[in-house]
Amino acid sequence: MNSLIVDRIVKNYGDKTAVNGLSFEVSEGEIYGLLGANGAGKTTTMRMILGLILPDTGDIRYLGKGYGKEQLSMLGYLPEERGMYPKIKVSDQIIYLAQLRGMSRKDADRNLKRWLEKFQVPEYYNKKVEELSKGNQQKIQFIAAVIHNPKILILDEAFSGLDPVNVELLKSTVKELRDGGTSIVFSTHRMEHVEELCRNITIMHKSNPVLQGPIKDIKKKFPQERVIVAAEHDLNGLESIAGVKQVIRHEHGGYELKVSSPDVGQLILHQALSQGPVTRFEIMEPTLNEIFIKTVGESHE
Amino acid sequence: MNNSLLTVMSFTMRNKLRSKAFIIMTIVLAVLLIVVGNLPYLIDKLGGGDKVTRVGYAEGQQPQVVEGLKDYFVKLPDAKLELVPIGTEAELKGALENGDISGYLTFKEDSALGFPKTVYNAKSAFEGGTSSTLAAALQLVKNNIIIKDAGLNDDQKTQLLSMVSLETNKVSFSNEKGKTEEEQGMAIGLTYAMIILLFMAVMITGQLIATEITAEKSSRVMEIIVTSVSPLKQMWGKILGTFVVAMIQIVILIGAFVINLTMPQNAESLDKLGIDLSVLDTSLVIYAILFYLAGFFLYSTLFAAVGSIVSRTEDLGQAVLPITMITLVGFYVAMFGLTHPDHILIQVCQYIPFFSPFLMFLRIGLAEPAWWEIALSVGILFASILLIGWLSAKIYRVGVLMYGKRPSIKEIVKAMKAYKV
Repeated sequence: MNSLIVDRIVKNYGDKTAVNGLSFEVSEGEIYGLLGANGAGKTTTMRMILGLILPDTGDIRYLGKGYGKEQLSMLGYLPEERGMYPKIKVSDQIIYLAQLRGMSRKDADRNLKRWLEKFQVPEYYNKKVEELSKGNQQKIQFIAAVIHNPKILILDEAFSGLDPVNVELLKSTVKELRDGGTSIVFSTHRMEHVEELCRNITIMHKSNPVLQGPIKDIKKKFPQERVIVAAEHDLNGLESIAGVKQVIRHEHGGYELKVSSPDVGQLILHQALSQGPVTRFEIMEPTLNEIFIKTVGESHE
Repeated sequence: MNNSLLTVMSFTMRNKLRSKAFIIMTIVLAVLLIVVGNLPYLIDKLGGGDKVTRVGYAEGQQPQVVEGLKDYFVKLPDAKLELVPIGTEAELKGALENGDISGYLTFKEDSALGFPKTVYNAKSAFEGGTSSTLAAALQLVKNNIIIKDAGLNDDQKTQLLSMVSLETNKVSFSNEKGKTEEEQGMAIGLTYAMIILLFMAVMITGQLIATEITAEKSSRVMEIIVTSVSPLKQMWGKILGTFVVAMIQIVILIGAFVINLTMPQNAESLDKLGIDLSVLDTSLVIYAILFYLAGFFLYSTLFAAVGSIVSRTEDLGQAVLPITMITLVGFYVAMFGLTHPDHILIQVCQYIPFFSPFLMFLRIGLAEPAWWEIALSVGILFASILLIGWLSAKIYRVGVLMYGKRPSIKEIVKAMKAYKV
C-alpha cells in the first residue's frame, strides 16, 4: 500500500487557482520529486499534505487513512524558510518540537543525541541556535524534521545554502531514511539532486501538473538531441553532417552537437573516427534540467 | 492530545522564567515595592524626625508675638521647631549663611490688622513644612492675643478653639451595616491598586504574548509548530503559560509588598495613615481576582490575534495600537470613576466588555450596583471572552501562515474562507 496518496486535489484562493487537480502516490521507501517554478503551487500542495489547509476537492490519504490528529505525529516537515528560536538552546527547542509531535521527553533527548552524533556536532546540544553558522542551523533544522521518526517526510529545498560536503552528508542521510522505509516528498530547484534521488516526479506549472511519472519514462519522451564527441586532435566537418543543427566547441576539448535525431550520432562517430582515435563519444539523454526548462519555459511563451 | 497544550505551556513558562529580562524586571520591581512598602517608616525616620529646625529672630522685635510663639513650641509635646534669639537682622543673615539656623523671622507692623506681618526668611522658598508650622503657631498666638483683649475666660477659650466634629458614613442599602470611612478608604485603595495592576498586566503580558507570536512567525519556527500542534492549542498554551508566569510575578511582588506592610516597624506608620489590612472586604478581593482574570484573558486573546497577523516585530507596535488605545480609554474612564462611581458614563461603560473589568469592579468597590447589574456585566464579559477567543483563534489560524505585508481585514476574511476555518 502506498504511504501517501494524493487524489485530484484542487485548491482555489478566491478566484485564483493554486493547485488544479493534482494526483500522485508515494510508496514506502520512495523519494518523490515535486518540481515547479516559483509560484507553481508546490508550497500550497505541501501545506495541504501537512493538513494546514484543506483541499477544496480531492482527497489525501496517509497510510490509507484520512487526515486526523494521529497523522500529525507521522509527518515530518522541513520548510523552505528556515527558522528556529534564536535564543533558545538546541536541546530545548528540538525536544519541544519532538514533544509536540507526541514523543516523550526521554525518547526525544535520546534521538537528538544520536542525530547530533551522526552529524558529528554533539557539542551543539547546549548551544543557542544564534551561535551556530547558517549551515549548522540547517542541520539542526533537519534534525527537527526527522527527530520523531516520521513515516512521511516533506523536504522543501532541503539542501539549499549548504556547502558541498554538507550536501553530501544530508543527501546520504536522506537516502538512509528512504532505505529505512520513509516516504519522502522532495521539492527542489536543483535538478541533479532530483535525478539522483527520485524515482517518480511531478512537474507543476501554473497550478497544473504538466509532467508526471518515473524519471526514466519522462526522459524517453524527450528526444536525445545532444551528442558529445572528443578526440585528441581537432575534428573537422562536423557541421556538414546531415541532421547536425549546431556545434559547440568546449574550451577543455570536445564538441557538443545538437542533432535532429539520435541516429545522427552514428554518422558523427564515423566522421570522427575517420579522422583518428576518439577519446569520448556519448549520445546524451536529456537532463532533467533541460526537460524542466522545456516544459515550463515553452508554456511561458 | 491535551498533552500538547501542556507542552506549549511549559515551554513558554520555562523560557520566560529563565530569561534575564524577566528575572531582572521582577527583582527591580520587588525592590521598588519593598522601598515603597517601607516608605511611611522611612519618611518617619528620615523626614527630619529628631532634628529640630532652628529659627532665629532679632532680639527685641515684637516681644509679645515672639513670646507667644516660644510658649506654643515649648508646650508642644515633640516640637520640631526652636526659636533662637540672635542679635540684629544682619547677624541673622550671617547665621543663616553659616547654617546655625534654618531660617529667621522678621516682622513688619500692620496697623490695619493689629498684628505684625511676619516674614520667614530661608535659603529656599520651598520650606513648606516649617512655614506652615509657623503659620499655624502664629494664628494661635494672634487668637490668644485677641481673646485676651476680649476678656474671655478659659472655658470659653477652649470652646472657641476646639474643632467641630464631622464624621462621614457611607449608607449601604443592601448590606446590614454601612461601610465605615476606613473600609471605604480601603475599598478605594484596593480599587485603585487593582485598576493599575490590571492595566499593567494587560499591557505588559499582552505585548509579551503578541511579541512572542510575531517573533515565532518572523523566525519561521511557526511553520513547523503549526504542522505539529493545532493553532488553537498553541495560542491557548501560550496565553496560559504567560498567564502563569505573570501570576508568579504578581504573587512575588504582592507578597513582597504585603510582608513589608505587616512588618512591625511599619505597623505604627500604617496606623497613622489610617490603613488597616484587616478591614479588607473578602468579597471585594474575590471580585478583584475574578475581574482580573477576565480582563487578562479578554485582552490577551486579542493581543495573540494581532500578533499572529503581523510578520515582523517592527510592525507590531503599530498593529497593537488600537488595543492599547482601548485599554488606555478604559483606564482613564476608571480613573474618572474613582471619584464619580455613579456617573451615567460609568453606568453605561460597565457593560462594555473592554471596560467592564475596570469599571464593574470599581462600582462594586465604591458604589452599590444592583445584583443584576453585576450579573449582566459579568455575563457580557464572559460571552465576549468566548466570542473574542474564538474569533482570535480563527484569525490566528490564518494569520500565522500569512507572510508579507500586514493583511487588511478583507484579506483576512478572504483567507479564512480559503482555508475553511
